Amino acid sequence: MRGSFKREIGSVSDVHGFVRAFFEREGLDRDYLFAVDLAVEEIFTNMVKYGDGGDREIEVELDMQDEHLTIRLIDHDVSPFDITAADVVDVDLPLKERKIGGLGIHLVRKFMDEIDYTYENRRSTVTLVKRFVTDHV
Amino acid sequence: MFEIRFGEREQIVLQGRFDAAQTSRAREFFDQVVESRVVDCSRLEYISSAGLGVLLKVQKRLMATEDGLALVGLNNHIRDVFRYAGLDKVFKITGESK
Repeated sequence: MRGSFKREIGSVSDVHGFVRAFFEREGLDRDYLFAVDLAVEEIFTNMVKYGDGGDREIEVELDMQDEHLTIRLIDHDVSPFDITAADVVDVDLPLKERKIGGLGIHLVRKFMDEIDYTYENRRSTVTLVKRFVTDHV
Repeated sequence: MFEIRFGEREQIVLQGRFDAAQTSRAREFFDQVVESRVVDCSRLEYISSAGLGVLLKVQKRLMATEDGLALVGLNNHIRDVFRYAGLDKVFKITGESK
């Protein structure tokens, strides 16, 4: 299933609605919905904040095959921004030194099983994979 | 849908989905919070890093002089978010998870 969404933070509710519709259509275990919502929101908002893609909408693709959900976010006509190269967040720092930057990607790594970034023809693609198993988040 | 308001016993009630589109409203609300509060999260369904960012900023400000925010009633997913983010050590988290 594929959708495209305006490059603005306010689109997050629509993106979540799209994810929910996919879960309903495929009859997926709703216990995974939180993790997928979070991962999609973090990548989407990252693209909105740091992408320079002008008016082009951001595409979201969801595909379920053999207990593996593949989530793909495609940002058109942008400069490269490899989120997988982001610094590792030190979650043990004392409060005063804690920053929120990088926490979104850190959470995506925790909630997803795979994360991959490719860049081609001024197009950034982030691919996430979530395995649906009994021992789930 | 997301709601933030004062509840009984001056608790702060967070309800619904605290996503990136809700941060301005939440920030405005928390600007009026100047002392330690209990935050009732029992009807909070979802939070992303944007919501965590708002809470972390409030916590930094309050903990300079006060105990800060104490969170109660987090569901299991939200508990995971706080744990993964290392924020379970920054906020006092109590109450049964559901």
